[in-house]
Order: sequence, then C-alpha cells, then structure tokens
Amino acid sequence: MKVTLVMKPATKSFIPIEAESIVPKNFLAGTDLSVWRGNRELRLDEVFSISVEGDADRVEDVEVVLSGDTSRLKRVGEYMDGGKITILGGIGMHCGNFMSDGTIEVHGNADGWLGREMAGGTIICRGDAADYCASGYRGGRKGMTGGTVEVFGRAGDFLAESIAAGTVIVHGDAGDMAGAEMHGGTLVVHGNCSRPAANMKSGSCYVFGTAQGMLPTFRKVGTIQHEGRTLIQFTGDIANRGKGNLFVKDYKYLD
Amino acid sequence: MIVKDAVCPFCGCLCDDIEVEVEGGRVVAVTNACELGTTKFMGEKRMKNPILRDGNQWKEITCDEAVRYAADMLLDAERPLLYGWSGTHGEAQCVGVHMAELVRGVIDNTSSVCHGPSILAIQEVGHPGCTLGVVKNRADLVIYWGSNPIDAHPRHLSRYTRYAEGFFLENAFRDRKVIVVDVRRTETAEIADEFVQIKPGGDYAVLSALRAIVQGKTETIPRTVAGVTREQLVRVANLCKSAKFGAVYFGLGLTMTRGKYKNIRNAIELVSELSRHTKFTISAMRGHYNVYGSNEVNTWMTGYPFGIDFSRGIAFYNPGETTAVDILARKECDAALIVGSDPAAHFPRRCLEHLSEIPVVQLDPYPNATTAFCNVQIPVAVTGIDAEGTAYRMDGVPIRTRKVLSSDYLSDREVLLQMYTLMQEAKGQ
Ligand code: SF4
Repeated sequence: MKVTLVMKPATKSFIPIEAESIVPKNFLAGTDLSVWRGNRELRLDEVFSISVEGDADRVEDVEVVLSGDTSRLKRVGEYMDGGKITILGGIGMHCGNFMSDGTIEVHGNADGWLGREMAGGTIICRGDAADYCASGYRGGRKGMTGGTVEVFGRAGDFLAESIAAGTVIVHGDAGDMAGAEMHGGTLVVHGNCSRPAANMKSGSCYVFGTAQGMLPTFRKVGTIQHEGRTLIQFTGDIANRGKGNLFVKDYKYLD
Repeated sequence: MIVKDAVCPFCGCLCDDIEVEVEGGRVVAVTNACELGTTKFMGEKRMKNPILRDGNQWKEITCDEAVRYAADMLLDAERPLLYGWSGTHGEAQCVGVHMAELVRGVIDNTSSVCHGPSILAIQEVGHPGCTLGVVKNRADLVIYWGSNPIDAHPRHLSRYTRYAEGFFLENAFRDRKVIVVDVRRTETAEIADEFVQIKPGGDYAVLSALRAIVQGKTETIPRTVAGVTREQLVRVANLCKSAKFGAVYFGLGLTMTRGKYKNIRNAIELVSELSRHTKFTISAMRGHYNVYGSNEVNTWMTGYPFGIDFSRGIAFYNPGETTAVDILARKECDAALIVGSDPAAHFPRRCLEHLSEIPVVQLDPYPNATTAFCNVQIPVAVTGIDAEGTAYRMDGVPIRTRKVLSSDYLSDREVLLQMYTLMQEAKGQ
C-alpha cells in the first residue's frame, strides 16, 4: 500500500504542525487521522491531499510518501515500528523520535532532533541534519539505543549526544560536541568536527577529518589502520574516567 | 518616612537590608543599596496610562480596554507566546502559567537567554549548591568563573565573599582566597588572589583538564590548555583540594559561551570531583531579581522551569524548540504577551522582525525598547516599590519583597488576574 500525502499550501504557514499520527501502522486502518497546528486540531485531509494505492494488512507493506513544504512538519514517524516513510523534501523537528523499526528516508534536510532516542530501524537523510541528530532528550541519560542513522550531508552540533548503542554515520562535517556523553554505540564522521566525544564513557567515535579543539583529556594510544585509513587512536574521556575509543585522522588542540 | 529592611528588586542578590526614604509619594533617598539598586528605587519617567497603537500614534485607553484587548488577542491565537516573567513577583508568574495553560500557549521566561543552559546541566547531573549564608560563613575559597560581580552583582563580594565576615573564619579577608576565571581581565580579576585567563571558547577544555588533574592524571594534559599553562592548572587544582570549603559562582561567561550547558555540566562534575577531597559547591549568578522565581513557579506548576509549550494541552519542554528566541526567529507564534522583561533590548534582529508582525501586549511600568513593538502597553506597579510579592534569591531562598510606597498602579498580578478572568469566561469556565 502506498499512501501519498501532498501538503496543501497553508494560510498560517509558520505555525508548526505536529503530525505524530503519520506512521505507517496508522494507515492500515484508513486515513481518518488528525494533526495539530499550534493549539488547533485539524483533520489530515485539511492539511494534505491524500491518495492511497493498493492495500495492506501488514505494516511492512505500507509506504507513506510525503511531498510539498514539509519542513515545518514535526514528529513524523514518531514511535514508528515498521514500514517506510519517504519524504521528498525537507522535514521538521523530531522526525523518527523513538522509532524501533522500519525505514525513514528524507531526501532534503532534516531539522533538529532527527531520530531522537531511536531504538531501532533506519533513518537516511540525503541532505543536512540540524542539531541534536540521533541524540537524547533534555536531561536524559540515554540517547539512541539502537538502529542506524546515516546523513549524507552535514550534521549540526551535539550529534549523537548520549548515544548508548546503534550506529550514526555522517558523510560531511559535523558541528561541535559530536558524540558528547557517549557511552556506547558507534559514531562515524567522514569530515571534520569539533570537540568530539566530550565526556565519553564508552563506545567508538571515528573522525576521518580533523578533530578541531580536541579535548586535552584523551590519552593517545597509537595508530591503527581502518578501512584503508591511518587513524590516531585515543582513549578517554579520562576526565570522566571513560574508557571509550576515539579515532581521528588529525587533531588540533585549543592550546 | 523611612522604610527599613526593604528588598532591592534589581539583581539576583535580592539584598534585604535596604533603607528607603519616601517623601510625597516618591523615593528620595536610598541607603545600603549599590548604584544599580539605588537607580532602580529612584526610577522615574513611568508611563501613566495604558496605550494602544493607532496607526503611527499612541492613543491612551482605559485599563479595562487594554485588558480586554490582551485577553482577546490570546484567545484568538493558535500559538501565543507568554514571555518575560523575571521582573515580576511569583504570584503574577502563577497567573501567567494558568493563562498559558488555558489558551494552550507557550510560556517562557528570560532564563532561556541567560541561565537556561545552567538548568539543562543541572537536569543532567544535579546541583551541589548551598545558600549564600553558608558560603559567607564557611567558604575559604571562592571561584568566580565567567562572572564579573563588581559590575553585575555589586554587593555579592561585600555581603558574601571577598569583603564579608565569616562565622567560621577567623580573619575572613585574609583566610578567604578568591580565584577569577575569565577570558579578559575584569575588575573582579583585579581583586582576586589568582586570575586564570582562558582563550575564548576554551572553558570546557580547562574544566576537563582540571577534573583530570584533580584525579591525579596530570601527565595526559598538554603543556597549555586554552591559553592556561599546565602549571597554573595544577596550582588551581591544589588550591581547590586544600580548601576547607570551596564555592564556585559562574556567570554568563560560562553559560552562554560555546558549549553552553556542557560547560556547566563540566563545572558541576569538577565540583563533584573536588567533593571527593573536600567540600565544594557551585551556584549560578542569577541576573534579574526574580528569574530564579520564574523557574521555581514554572517547575512546581508544570514540571519544567522554562520554555513550556501547552499547545497540546499538556506541558512539553524542549529548549531550542519551545523557547522564545527560537520560536520568534522561526516565526512560530502568532501573538505575544510580554511581562516584566524587555526582549527588544536583547533579542536578535530576526526575532524582533517577527515581533513587529504579530500583535504584542506588554505589561511594564516604563516605556522601553519593546514598547516600539507593542500594540498595547499596560503600566503596572513596580514589585518591591509600589507592589509586594515573593521573589527568589539566586540561591533559591524565597524573600518577600516589600511595598515602600503606595500608588494607583495595579500590580502585575492584579492586571493578569483580570485578563485571566475574562479568558475563563470566554472559555465558559
Ligand atoms: S547587589 Fe543587586 S540586589 Fe543588592 S543592592 Fe545591588 S542591585 Fe540591588
């Protein structure tokens, strides 16, 4: 079953729309769903032109395709547990919060908190991801606990904050404090980033570019060969009695 | 008439030993307050009546008309923002939270642009703090990190630290050491025993290095960290470990610089590390006199200290998303009520552009930068001068501010209650 949702041009276009009802499972029972624009509840068909092709009785057979200006659409795919969501443009904050299975593919950029506290499944972002991609929630001890997030563009600050398990791969640069408080899982940044793995306890963080503002509390172990690259291995964050692994191609202290 | 033990409604020190002389309904002299406090008590040029924007002009309107305008504005909005609150008393803040919940709006206070990151850090790792009185009487080491009390909290030094007597210190002035950590040599740095000058953006690295040194892992630390030599870091770590009671006070120089809440988390974790060796505490130098109160009131009423979004009927909190600067910059609200603050004086241009496009009502005794963005402004009594109410000092101690003179102005709480009553009627409650 393929559900196509084309966003209608909105009058109050800047008020964000919260659309946690857009998860493949919900469409097994039809399209009588609602979303919220600010404090107003709206029917799904007030916001989207909806078309449904075919039918399905398993979530794995449901694909939801979103198009139009979806950059202010929040919480799409929250608690998703199977199926596929394809977003042809950009997507608003909290896409794929808490998802446990299935695939979300974003062809444009993703706003903050993409895949927040994700437990499983796959998120692919073809554009850039803003701050807090694959991170935890305010004050939370555990961020991502499983699954994979792959960003083909750049990522903002606090990428994979508090990651406990799972894999995050960014093909471009990442911002400040990538992998802060990480205590498990794997983070790979193909480009540069600053202050990676701050306060890490455990897990592995790879930076194939330069680690700017490298923290002084990582102990150099030696060099390793990884996927044809020579990387410098550190362990830390010793300030936090951490025993994590940080691998960087190059690094610069703020000295 | 002389009013003794008045409370200064300016900064987070909330000094409660002020003497105010009142004559002919005006404050004519102030004793014990610093210059900032004195100016606040003597403040003049208050707005007389509520005003309504009428084309390019202002028109005076009655308080009832102004209150009706505000209530209708909030009821019509799909995502109203209720912002400010640090410059008013707790009782008014309570009404604000009820209003936000009733109209399903977003309520945020000025901590989102000052110590909000400190609160985020506290939510991550807790807050080993204490009252100012404990520091005054016991601390033999005080660290000011990214704060300059001589400028911003002038009596902090004389009432609680550098120049204060201490019950458990024989000769407080001699026995109490002061360390100042900052990116520039401030006036406070001049009176410190040790000044640590950090390169901008380097606080986090220095805090991490200190944590490692306190654990005895000095050999891993490079020769300099963000412009600070390893020798100085070791000296500072030793000063801290050998203190009987240490207190860290941090300001916006730590909270609002690169890394924000992670800086504060790192500072708290340094304090926890030091507490394995001696007694150490840490607290924020809160700015506005009742910004701490706005966090208290919001927390006990909603579970969250600032940036609370009631759009969906329940409280949702996510600084960076539900905080005023972010909402305004992204044009995500369609009306604003401003109480007890002046966002136009501090907010980025993008935020002000949106403020100029939506209806705005402000409660403030004085014309200020935000007045230019208002559709309606309602002058109110000044808490601590012609209104009384509860405020929270920077260490979380609630202090009842006193009314030192009477006026015809209504307090923030009274005006907000009128609005809330109209809104309840409209909602059939
Ligand atoms: S230190 Fe602060 S509270 Fe005390 S008198 Fe000065 S401005 Fe007022």
